[in-house]
Amino acid sequence: MSLSNAARVLVIEDDAAIRRVLKTNLVRHGFQVRSADTGVEGLHEFRHWHPDVLLLDLGLPDMDGIDLIREIRSHTNTPIVVLSVRGGERDKVAALDLGADDYLTKPFGVNELLARIRVALRHAARPTCGSTAVFEAGDLKVNVERRSVEVAGQEVHLTPTEYDLLGAFIRNPDKVLTDRMLLREVWGPEYGSEAHYLHVYVARLRKKIEADPQRPQHLLTEPGVGYRFVSEEI
Amino acid sequence: MREIRAWLRSHRASGYVVALGLTSIVTGAIAAIEQVADVANISMLYLLAVMASAIFFGNGPAILASVAAFLAFNFFFIEPEYTFKVANEDEWLALGLLLATGAVAGQLAAALRNRAREAGRREKEAIVMYDVVRLMGEPDLHRSLTAIAERLRAELDLAVVAVAAGTEGPVRAQADTGDSEAIALAHEAQRLPEMIMGGGQAPTAASRARPGRWIRIVPPSVSPGPQRVRHDRVRVVPVNLGDQRVGSIVLVRAVGSPQFGEAEDRLLSAVAHQLGLYLERLRLHREATEAEVLRRTDELKTALLNAVSHDLRTPLSSIIASADSLLQQDVSWTEEERRDFARAIEEEAERLNRLIGNLLNLSRIQAGTLVPEKGWYDLGALVDEVLGRLRPVTSNHRVVVDMPEDLPAISLDYVEIDEVLSNLVENAVKYSPSASEIVIRASREKCFVRVEVADRGPGIPPEALPRLFDPFYRVRKEGPTPKGTGLGLAVARGLVEAHGGRIWVENREGGGARFVFTLPLHEPEDHPMEAAMGQP
Repeated sequence: MSLSNAARVLVIEDDAAIRRVLKTNLVRHGFQVRSADTGVEGLHEFRHWHPDVLLLDLGLPDMDGIDLIREIRSHTNTPIVVLSVRGGERDKVAALDLGADDYLTKPFGVNELLARIRVALRHAARPTCGSTAVFEAGDLKVNVERRSVEVAGQEVHLTPTEYDLLGAFIRNPDKVLTDRMLLREVWGPEYGSEAHYLHVYVARLRKKIEADPQRPQHLLTEPGVGYRFVSEEI
Repeated sequence: MREIRAWLRSHRASGYVVALGLTSIVTGAIAAIEQVADVANISMLYLLAVMASAIFFGNGPAILASVAAFLAFNFFFIEPEYTFKVANEDEWLALGLLLATGAVAGQLAAALRNRAREAGRREKEAIVMYDVVRLMGEPDLHRSLTAIAERLRAELDLAVVAVAAGTEGPVRAQADTGDSEAIALAHEAQRLPEMIMGGGQAPTAASRARPGRWIRIVPPSVSPGPQRVRHDRVRVVPVNLGDQRVGSIVLVRAVGSPQFGEAEDRLLSAVAHQLGLYLERLRLHREATEAEVLRRTDELKTALLNAVSHDLRTPLSSIIASADSLLQQDVSWTEEERRDFARAIEEEAERLNRLIGNLLNLSRIQAGTLVPEKGWYDLGALVDEVLGRLRPVTSNHRVVVDMPEDLPAISLDYVEIDEVLSNLVENAVKYSPSASEIVIRASREKCFVRVEVADRGPGIPPEALPRLFDPFYRVRKEGPTPKGTGLGLAVARGLVEAHGGRIWVENREGGGARFVFTLPLHEPEDHPMEAAMGQP
């Protein structure tokens, strides 16, 4: 990968040690990297350097990472991967609801980090998934125009709500979707807190599209946050 | 004076004797005056005797004095003299007037005397009550009860007063005159009360309180002999709160001292009532304190969890990411990169270790199990060592050390005070701009050494001053906050206080903060030998 078209990663992280490790790794894996240790500096860097993906620590010394996401999302769709050590999942959910694309819980492995950055970049590159006529992931095949689903060559019958839910997942492959996002997308904007509907439908969907619903390969639970539809091995 | 009063009390008849004596004296005086002059109505002189008897001895002796005056005047001075006959009929009128005037004046004087005595008693009662209430202000329950017992004992002239609070495992306090028999009686009465104050009536808006009455409780099988002695001398006043017994006051009279009167009963009732309220107040206070402690503990736990989740995981993230990087199969790192990762692992592991050390120290401080292992050290050497170790940290600042030459050796736990000083110096570096001056100064005060670390940073916002040494407290402000757990100052305070010193912070004139701690110069007599050896 030549330097000119290498993806740009902006790291906003206040801890010097982790910043250095991230930078060394990302550079070695062919990314252009810049880093900032405060929100203000990070925002400045973001506006002038136009990174392709943003790695953002939620616990910044000068401002709340959540506010920074809100600020950035009001202008651009640049993928944001949130780094968080906070035990509470609430921050992650808030970040995702505001438009962050993914999150990594500290401590994390290097492979996991690289995979998340790649997924985020792929998202940004893909125009809209909805336009694809046929969506395939492993042995799952969805014909969007005909609203038909096949698992390992066998046609599976889905109810309209189940299909809408699956549709929401395949439009955002490999991305964490919070309960609220899914509820609004499938049930409508007035929904948001009726998570139990969602859990029931996800369980039904798993029974129909997963080979082993106890050990799902596609519809993964992100504990305390929501669900992620995995389209391939990441 | 007290002896005279006691004598008068125990010899009621003496009042009458004195009344007669006074009458005789007046008779003599009249006879003497009659010798030199003829004074009309000289019989009125007898009123002096009547009034004096009334004032000093009350009603009865006053009446006796009036009658005696009537008879004496008749016998000695009315014609025919030395008989009770009266020659002149008019004289009867004069005698009758003398008797009537004497009786009325005597009554008035006696009433006055009673009122004065009653007022005196009430005043005494009020003073005792007031004293008792004040003694209840003492924070230590046992000392407060002892003081109350002693005050009652002295006031009521008793051999022993014991006050017990609580029914289960009561707190006992006792004041006594060293009369071992009386003490034994008091202890027995606490177990098996016989004369106990009962009943009584609380005051209402319309009526005043009535003290309880003495009720005799006869235990089933006790020989009658000593029992009589006991219930004569020993009284128990229960301390109630509502219907619940919360304690008792045991009183033992000295042999031969008078019985309790109404005033004493009233006083004891009131004291018992106040004591009940006092014990209740203490109980509520204790409960409130316990609740507060629980709340604080809870807060601390929450703060601890947050700190653990954030501050332990941050260094762990670097360690795991660095180790993971080194283990990557598909990347061949340069030697420098490898060293970088290894250094990150080492440094972050150190940071974790320090954090855990601080957490452990803090929990030891909070549990009260921190006992400094003291030895005699030179503070100057300690400061030098700390600064030497922190040189990499302080290299961007100008560090000024001002230690007096004549500083004596100080008894301290080297590791702990090293930590206090390190925490303060690291803080000063963290919170003040590069190239600014950090002053470390020690000075000898009268009985302690004062050590200060002063910086030229932004100082401490006034609202943060009282909480700065609380665990996990961080000053909220604009601009980047240096990383830290908020443990350093809490640990420093705990360590300094474990040494018997104090630590505080003040803002400097011209900007910056000054952290000051003191260490006592002399051991509080625990180790006189070591103290002697420590002197130069």
